[in-house]
Amino acid sequence: MALSKRELDELKPWIEKTVKRVLGFSEPTVVTAALNCVGKGMDKKKAADHLKPFLDDSTLRFVDKLFEAVEEGRSSRHSKSSSDRSRKRELKEVFGDDSEISKESSGVKKRRIPRFEEVEEEPEVIPGPPSESPGMLTKLQIKQMMEAATRQIEERKKQLSFISPPTPQPKTPSSSQPERLPIGNTIQPSQAATFMNDAIEKARKAAELQARIQAQLALKPGLIGNANMVGLANLHAMGIAPPKVELKDQTKPTPLILDEQGRTVDATGKEIELTHRMPTLKANIRAVKREQFKQQLKEKPSEDMESNTFFDPRVSIAPSQRQRRTFKFHDKGKFEKIAQRLRTKAQLEKLQAEISQAARKTGIHTSTRLALIAPKKELKEGDIPEIEWWDSYIIPNGFDLTEENPKREDYFGITNLVEHPAQLNPPVDNDTPVTLGVYLTKKEQKKLRRQTRREAQKELQEKVRLGLMPPPEPKVRISNLMRVLGTEAVQDPTKVEAHVRAQMAKRQKAHEEANAARKLTAEQRKVKKIKKLKEDISQGVHISVYRVRNLSNPAKKFKIEANAGQLYLTGVVVLHKDVNVVVVEGDDEESDEEAVKKTNKCVLVWEGTAKDRSFGEMKFKQCPTENMAREHFKKHGAEHYWDLALSESVLESTD
Amino acid sequence: KRARQINVSTDDSEVKACLRALGEPITLFGEGPAERRERLRNILSVVGTDALKKTKKDDEKSKKSKEEYQQTWYHEGPNSLKVARLWIANYSLPRAMKRLEEARLHKEIPETTRTSQMQELHKSLRSLNNFCSQIGDDRPISYCHFSPNSKMLATACWSGLCKLWSVPDCNLLHTLRGHNTNVGAIVFHPKSTVSLDQKDVNLASCAADGSVKLWSLDSDEPVADIEGHTVRVARVMWHPSGRFLGTTCYDRSWRLWDLEAQEEILHQEGHSMGVYDIAFHQDGSLAGTGGLDAFGRVWDLRTGRCIMFLEGHLKEIYGINFSPNGYHIATGSGDNTCKVWDLRQRRCVYTIPAHQNLVTGVKFEPIHGNFLLTGAYDNTAKIWTHPGWSPLKTLAGHEGKVMGLDISSDGQLIATCSYDRTFKLWMAE
Repeated sequence: MALSKRELDELKPWIEKTVKRVLGFSEPTVVTAALNCVGKGMDKKKAADHLKPFLDDSTLRFVDKLFEAVEEGRSSRHSKSSSDRSRKRELKEVFGDDSEISKESSGVKKRRIPRFEEVEEEPEVIPGPPSESPGMLTKLQIKQMMEAATRQIEERKKQLSFISPPTPQPKTPSSSQPERLPIGNTIQPSQAATFMNDAIEKARKAAELQARIQAQLALKPGLIGNANMVGLANLHAMGIAPPKVELKDQTKPTPLILDEQGRTVDATGKEIELTHRMPTLKANIRAVKREQFKQQLKEKPSEDMESNTFFDPRVSIAPSQRQRRTFKFHDKGKFEKIAQRLRTKAQLEKLQAEISQAARKTGIHTSTRLALIAPKKELKEGDIPEIEWWDSYIIPNGFDLTEENPKREDYFGITNLVEHPAQLNPPVDNDTPVTLGVYLTKKEQKKLRRQTRREAQKELQEKVRLGLMPPPEPKVRISNLMRVLGTEAVQDPTKVEAHVRAQMAKRQKAHEEANAARKLTAEQRKVKKIKKLKEDISQGVHISVYRVRNLSNPAKKFKIEANAGQLYLTGVVVLHKDVNVVVVEGDDEESDEEAVKKTNKCVLVWEGTAKDRSFGEMKFKQCPTENMAREHFKKHGAEHYWDLALSESVLESTD
Repeated sequence: KRARQINVSTDDSEVKACLRALGEPITLFGEGPAERRERLRNILSVVGTDALKKTKKDDEKSKKSKEEYQQTWYHEGPNSLKVARLWIANYSLPRAMKRLEEARLHKEIPETTRTSQMQELHKSLRSLNNFCSQIGDDRPISYCHFSPNSKMLATACWSGLCKLWSVPDCNLLHTLRGHNTNVGAIVFHPKSTVSLDQKDVNLASCAADGSVKLWSLDSDEPVADIEGHTVRVARVMWHPSGRFLGTTCYDRSWRLWDLEAQEEILHQEGHSMGVYDIAFHQDGSLAGTGGLDAFGRVWDLRTGRCIMFLEGHLKEIYGINFSPNGYHIATGSGDNTCKVWDLRQRRCVYTIPAHQNLVTGVKFEPIHGNFLLTGAYDNTAKIWTHPGWSPLKTLAGHEGKVMGLDISSDGQLIATCSYDRTFKLWMAE
């Protein structure tokens, strides 16, 4: 069974690894020799003889390993062709053994389980590769598989419960194992230990990775929904398609399980050790199927199984160790600040108390005063009271007109106190000082520009002199090129001209770019325009009321509406027989409203300012009766606009 | 280099102030303004221009907070104030009684008669026309006032002259010389030409330099000056009794002067900006002031309290007037509106979108208050029905802003004066 060169190349790393493992160090001569052996297609014995000089006592073991590796490499290469055949079986195994696999693997890598489950579930949902006949995966089959799986799980549970006490005691290999391990190879205990450690190490890393992935998945609940997708992703993440591994097992049933001095080295560990990227589960499927692994499982704590089946990765588990607490230091001066604040507050309160005390001393308390002043009962419009409330305040005992000489001193509240009521700031605060910009004459402007430019130039020159900046290349123009680039220009005028032109173009470009950079972007320009259109309503809104004789023309209506929309005006249009009132709130520059309807007698009824807008978006309202129109205005607290417009129109008609 | 970019005032005193604010010597030996300025600039370039700004801002803040914490407080006025208040109480209470009595009587008149009267009035008002126009002076005329007997009209002019005109033929009777600056207002004593002697104080006027002068009818010179104002006095108004004179001042206060005692009895604060107009209640019990802070206040003259706060205008109040019915107040404002307030209900009853420019004056018809007259900077005066507030007539004819207006006490004549240096009389045909 001679191998091609390419195959040999592929095998080389394997062999190297094996050599290293057996000898404890890498030895290129051994590798080449081994490669030779394999390449020539020697059988084991011959190869052992051949390699004897290199590795005397460990030869046999090495050869075994070597052939194993070669077989493995080959099988993986053959896997493609045999995949069709094996697929179905694999599926079955997968289904049948998911629990076992997970249990087994969990011994080393607990966290890996969820992913494995997902992986195993995957084929159920997605049909295998297209080469596989889809008919194989009928519903019935799946059902059967599931049943088988559950049965097996049950069995396994029973077994586990029997052997639940974990016995780390060394176990003799089961009777069936020797035939499985025909090579009967032994490994040094120390080596085995290192392998184990190695495997465990790797498994832990994998577990960490897995945990991270799970955490991410938990963050995205949408992804959890279709586990098969995740499974697929995981499959890919693992690098190599699982079937490969499994196929090898099928083609060559030699398991990689090593057994020495009672402690069973898990196949998983070995596998990982051997092939970096190859997930171990499919291999385990194979192994688990066999009865002799019961012993192995005995070693594993039963709780693992529980944690497998009921493990929810989304539930966060509190770490067994409490996190160490760190010191929290306060910033310097924090309490000082707090104290200062308290002190100022106390001071302020004291001051206020003093003020109020003084006020009480000099006058009557404000609240009682207000209660006294307020009118006793509400009067209806048009009612004439017995006495005006402001008069009744000073004569609480009543007043009779019969008394001729009203020289009475029993008036209430007449003192010589002068009130200083609290002053309120005006609603529109326009006392911000108006500052004129600095306006310079043309001469001054020029002077300033000259000075600043000279300054900048000086600075530049200074920099150049200090060597902080390379001196600028001479600025050449067409007009001065002869002077600047004298001899060069004479030698090659064309080239120099091209150079000059390039420089000019560069200058031009730089200038234009600077200009463009200074320009507002389209967005900014838009915002600026809108800002300009939108009035500053903090100082009151400008309002115009127009009265239009006829506003039935939809074109006019549209114009009003469009104008209002574009200029960010609000208001209302009330349509009544003869009196159509247009109220516009917004900027005071929109007299175009008027222009719209010049022919149609539009009268500006009123314009002025109001505190704030009383209407929303420009709306049209058809009002058949006057009352209705007034009501509509009243709703917005602006009935006086309507009153005025209506009465003006009435006056107009009577004239 | 940084120093050169800092703008420093060229005013030497300001430079010194800045230096002082920064805690630097304001001048060094042999240092001139230029060097000082340069020094300030150098200092500023080191400490940064923010240093000065901050101090300025602190100043402002402290000022503002001081105002914010302002509360109602009292101080004791002179003893004469109490005397005057008692006097006003004695004066106003019977008048109030009388007024209410009359109102009740008026109410007993059947509805139909009243409405017919009203219609008659409206009809006559509709026919109001420009009856006479006279160029009053060579500067804008700021104020006009009818004498109580409606035979004379006093006009105040920005030239500083006040003139008395005969009505209705508009002949110049007197020229009152005394003011040097814009005269804000001139008003007749409520009893002058009716029962008051010509030699007595018949008129009062105020000017932009803060001078308030009292005039008699037989002299062109002021009888007396009222000292005490430092800034512009916008308006003066007589108390209905004729004993007191109210003045409004741009120093945020209005004053009440007792002419019998010849002293200021009340210096009333309360507005946060200058006070522009003042009006007295018919009874003499209340005074209303309108300020440039867009608020109006109604004061009880007997107790000295602000009994009503007229809040609603957006801009300065330029005119305030009491209705003869005793409980309506009209205010005209810079926001082109005129508001009518009800004293009894203590609220704004109606907002008249009166004019297209700021409203300079409002006046109720003095007998029954059946109509309201408003004048504005849109060159027109308008007449509004009083309850109802619908427009009756627009008095258009002036070529300039209407600065002042008045209605004669018999209700027959209306006078308006304008920026175009004329005053016009309007009468129903």
